[in-house]
Amino acid sequence: MTPFLLLTARTLRRSRADLAFAVLTPIFGVVGLTLLLRGVIATGQMIYAQYVLPAIVVQAMLFGAFTTTDRAAWEKISGLSSRMRTLPISPYLPLGARMAYCVVRGVLALVAAILAAYFLGFRLDGGFGYSVAFISLSLTLTMALSLGADATGSKIGRTEVASQLLLIPQLLLVVLSTGLAPVDAFPSWLHSFVRYQPISQITETLRGFTVGQVEAGNLGASVAWCAGLLLVFGTLAVRLQGRTS
Amino acid sequence: MIELINVAKTFGGQSPALNDVSFSVPTGSVCALLGHNGAGKTTTVKILSTLLKPTSGRAIVAGYDVAKEAVQVRRSIGVTGQEAALDLRMTGRENLVLFGRLRGLRRKDAVRRADELIEQFDMGHAADRQVSGYSGGMRRRIDIAVSLTIVPKVLFLDEPTTGLDPRSRRDVWNLVSSMKAQGITVLLTTQYLEEADILSDSIVILNAGQIVASGTADELKRQTGSSYCEMTPLNADDLPRIATALADFEEVEVDTDATTVAVPAPQGVATLTEVFRRMDQLGVELIDISLRRPSLDEVFLHLTNTNSVATK
Repeated sequence: MTPFLLLTARTLRRSRADLAFAVLTPIFGVVGLTLLLRGVIATGQMIYAQYVLPAIVVQAMLFGAFTTTDRAAWEKISGLSSRMRTLPISPYLPLGARMAYCVVRGVLALVAAILAAYFLGFRLDGGFGYSVAFISLSLTLTMALSLGADATGSKIGRTEVASQLLLIPQLLLVVLSTGLAPVDAFPSWLHSFVRYQPISQITETLRGFTVGQVEAGNLGASVAWCAGLLLVFGTLAVRLQGRTS
Repeated sequence: MIELINVAKTFGGQSPALNDVSFSVPTGSVCALLGHNGAGKTTTVKILSTLLKPTSGRAIVAGYDVAKEAVQVRRSIGVTGQEAALDLRMTGRENLVLFGRLRGLRRKDAVRRADELIEQFDMGHAADRQVSGYSGGMRRRIDIAVSLTIVPKVLFLDEPTTGLDPRSRRDVWNLVSSMKAQGITVLLTTQYLEEADILSDSIVILNAGQIVASGTADELKRQTGSSYCEMTPLNADDLPRIATALADFEEVEVDTDATTVAVPAPQGVATLTEVFRRMDQLGVELIDISLRRPSLDEVFLHLTNTNSVATK
């Protein structure tokens, strides 16, 4: 086994609780929100499970990414990352393994969310191409944010604050998006924020992928956000790992 | 072996953490780097273990330049830092196997090597428990064992006994001695002079990023002041008589609390013999007489004080 696989396997093994959490949270999310809100929020022709699934996925991708902060911070303060650097392996491998973990976690959350929603009537109606696009965009999002979270953890090196710090803004962004309810459900002075903030853009795009119909401007905005974050956070995270001053 | 040639390290705009440090450690010997907190010990270890690049100068470890041939250096070294750098959620054995495999051992070999180390480090009872439940001494032991999954040419131990109880400290001392027996070159840092004195073949004393003295423990002791001849009479009333009998010595120090008289002994044993002869003539009964050389503590305090005075 290569060092990369070894380190990834180690992260998976020591994070079994987090993986269980990764699977259960979206299931509870899909089932709970659908049962609670399906008669309350008007989503037009679309059944609520179909409507809300992208938001559950985005939430799961965000949350998965934030768990990286603790892992990165812990590796730094425990001295493990220093020790790894004295080994004859690439200094970027531990970061690579943490990212691989995030992708695995993301895939598990995606599968769990889709399966749970399937029983409530959700369908991937867009065909193979759109389904691949759905999965790719979701995983790119979690990857981009994980890199940001990793950079934060590696830089701060404190476990307790880092991830909680990011929870509130992300929760606000999800609630104030078109993920759980269409824009008409919000007061009019919030409309433009709700419509154009990135979480809304991305959930709209994902929703489009599930039915096989995406608006070009919306897709462009989502791809730009994901690619931009990937580039910025990726550069930061990689730079932090390579540093030997 | 280890060799530093005019190594300097400056962080940002601060005063240098290391300034023109040169010393070498021959293959198979133990060198102790001695100094207060902030003296530059850890910085030196970090440079030698490729974690930091020197600002100037050259450092050679096991024949490779740490700045230019970092990968080769990493293949040749084991490093145990101040904190136990282990995966606390894994067992001791799992840590050993993981690091063995990261160093390129195949699974079977890594498992066998872990078994050997568990036996050698006497950790059979704890090997399959999570490291998070280990005592400080156990963590340190497994931490050192992890550095030995592949027998390194050079082993760095950064304050290996800091925070350990006396028994665990002695365990680590025994381990270091066994490293030496295996022909591993060891560089350890310590704040304890006793430790440096017992374990090392050579000592380098750092203060404020500079070497203030180096040599064997004996050489360092010889560098500061001369030896003393100290005697303790059975009867405290004899102290003035002794002092009178030794009045021709350069300095006679009478300590009535400890019931001792001390005189400088520049000629060592010859002085001792002379003092002993006079006591015999005087008919004073002694319960102790000894040649006392300055302890490493005194050497260290002497050297670091002079240095800080000199820099002011």
